[in-house]
Amino acid sequence: MTPIAMDTGALVRGLYCILPEMVVIGTAILVLLADLLLPEEGKKRLCHLSVAGVAAAILSALWLGPGKIEGFSGMIVHDGMGLFFTLTILAAALLTLMMATGYSEWEGTQKGEFYALILLSTSGMLFMAEGTDLMTVFLGLETLSIPIYCLVGFHRGRMRSLEGAMKYFLLGAFSSGFFLYGIALMYAAAGTTRIPVIASMMRDARLYGNPVFLAGIGLLLVGFAFKVSLVPFHMWTPDAYEGAPTLVTAFMGAAVKAAAFAALLRVVLLTFPAILPAMSGVLWVLAALTMTVGNFSALLQNNMKRMLAYSSIAHAGYILVGLTAGGVAGGQAVLFYVLVYAFMNLGAFGVIMLVAQREDDGYDIDNFAGIGFRYPVLGGLLSLFLVSLAGIPPTAGFVGKFYLFGAAVRSGYVGLAVLGVLNSAVSVYYYLRPVVSMYMAPAPEGIPVPRPPRSAFSFALCASAAAVLLLGVMPASALEFAERSVLSLLM
Amino acid sequence: MNGPSDFIFYAAAALTVGSAILVATLPNIIYAAVALLFAFAGVAGLYVFLSADFLAATQVLVYVGGILVLILFAVFLSNRLADVKISNPGHFHLPAAAVCLVLFGVLSYTAVSTPFAVKTAVYLPTTADIGEMLMTRYLLPFEVASVLLLAALIGAALLSRPERGTPEKADMEEGRG
Amino acid sequence: MIEPPAYLLLSAILFGIGVVGVVARRNILIILMSVEVMLNGVNVAFVAVGSYLGDATGGIFAFMVMTVAAAEAAVGLALLIALYRIRETIDITELKVLKW
Repeated sequence: MTPIAMDTGALVRGLYCILPEMVVIGTAILVLLADLLLPEEGKKRLCHLSVAGVAAAILSALWLGPGKIEGFSGMIVHDGMGLFFTLTILAAALLTLMMATGYSEWEGTQKGEFYALILLSTSGMLFMAEGTDLMTVFLGLETLSIPIYCLVGFHRGRMRSLEGAMKYFLLGAFSSGFFLYGIALMYAAAGTTRIPVIASMMRDARLYGNPVFLAGIGLLLVGFAFKVSLVPFHMWTPDAYEGAPTLVTAFMGAAVKAAAFAALLRVVLLTFPAILPAMSGVLWVLAALTMTVGNFSALLQNNMKRMLAYSSIAHAGYILVGLTAGGVAGGQAVLFYVLVYAFMNLGAFGVIMLVAQREDDGYDIDNFAGIGFRYPVLGGLLSLFLVSLAGIPPTAGFVGKFYLFGAAVRSGYVGLAVLGVLNSAVSVYYYLRPVVSMYMAPAPEGIPVPRPPRSAFSFALCASAAAVLLLGVMPASALEFAERSVLSLLM
Repeated sequence: MNGPSDFIFYAAAALTVGSAILVATLPNIIYAAVALLFAFAGVAGLYVFLSADFLAATQVLVYVGGILVLILFAVFLSNRLADVKISNPGHFHLPAAAVCLVLFGVLSYTAVSTPFAVKTAVYLPTTADIGEMLMTRYLLPFEVASVLLLAALIGAALLSRPERGTPEKADMEEGRG
Repeated sequence: MIEPPAYLLLSAILFGIGVVGVVARRNILIILMSVEVMLNGVNVAFVAVGSYLGDATGGIFAFMVMTVAAAEAAVGLALLIALYRIRETIDITELKVLKW
């Protein structure tokens, strides 16, 4: 038996390529060990440790730069798009963990497991966003999902938390089955699971019109649709979002969506151009349904968390408009919007976390009545984030939607763009309802005093607000970065 | 290789499919779990038939030895055996059935129309191959899988522990348990 | 001689039975078992394709699927036990604190 030939150079290059992932996983293990050593009063250090670890991961990702590095015999690639999504996901994780400084104290999530699970989930997202083999993408997807199932059910004495977790888990496991069967059929047709190889086989028409391959890509799409909650695969979203600890809800909306869209974008941009006529029809219908159902269901909600859950479904629909448009313009718009959505979503959840005094019924819109003038900073911040979610200038949400719908028009999907604009108009109603209630409604007696935020929490909120405003007023550099990222993928 | 080997394939396939149907239809959870055991065993037999010796062994170890035991534990923990409520009938949805039928039709059509380069399985031991690939080409997925298992371990331990009030009491409970 | 389509057909049948089980049953444990049947169907496809292409990828993918199935089963059953502890039910239609 000959010994296995180890290529040390390749191994080192591979490890270099996954440096941010390694930093995040290393931090998770450190947090678990420190949890054993620290006394009960020192547990808040765990949060600081996690924040430091994610910050270090961001620095290491920046140090790697946008150059293309392939690692582990083509299982993973760090390219411009990988960098863009890595930074988006890590920024979302950083903001989440900064908010955790306050949230953990109020809701009793000051535990090593909580931070370790967030960090491990983050590492899974990074693997998913940078994976160039369907095996890496699948394992990244599961590594991100399994900790999230546990985090949703983290308050295991609260029925809603467990119920949301159970529904999310059952549908997640079910959708994994579809995702896997899709991969199996693609493997049967192509003989490989490498995304670039499959893409080149698509281009020279070896796979074109192969029914096995088409069925495989369809099932893969169903799996993705569950994860990014496209209608009609969205049933779990409101329950999981409402049941989960609010911090986890914010993290799910921002980061999970970014990771899933990263992988979807890689598959779609590389393989779909060849079969575009068939697939763009499917994407068109999914995008139209998702936007419409998400927005109209959000109109009916009285609970802020549930409303934002439906709004996140609608936003997945907007992002899908960019995917349908395809090409460089569509890809660029998707990247930019995913980044913007992470900030405005986290910011909005951050503010309502402060106003709501308790999980479950603290998130009713009535609880927000009258706080606008009494607490001007909180009111102003929440209004800013909601206005941005609605897509009103001068915020980043407006620029993002402008580019998404612009890409759709340029690719000839005028109908879809019109539908998107109409949907945005509908969404203004339910986004402004809390704002109106904050400023116009009379404050009830004994108005709840918002929780005093910790300094890191305030910093996270201000950073999100600054990002939403800056990306809205001067989006040029971020847009250019997004465009270069897409080009680096397509070349 | 005609005749007997074909018969073994059909027997294993029939065992697997039959047991799977029982899993999806039997009202009694314990009977369903036992049927699941036979389905797993049938799949392991198919792996042997496909000359995937290593996977057949893993199938028995992981599914029968791990997952099935876990499921049985959950059955016993979540049902008082004296209760009659252990049975749990299914109910019939027309749209769901229609969707499943369409799905099944598409899948079986694609199965039949798949072109393959090779028409015969190569009967060679695969364990060494798989081991080497896991350490070279598929090193990264292997490592990601270990991260996944770590996460699952933490999460499962966290969720199945009873919720407790004060941490001091928690430590005592852990010491006793 | 058994040809590859026979295996793919078998895997489609197993997958389909699993899907029916998930959709039609209300007991969480049975749903979990049906998911396992689905994943077994997927694995049959992976192993059969890998073996007929003479490629180890299929086998390794099946191996990874088993790992994931085990992890999912562990987390799912932990959730189930936590749920049973406060609710004493494993019937999915009883999960209606949140609107379904």
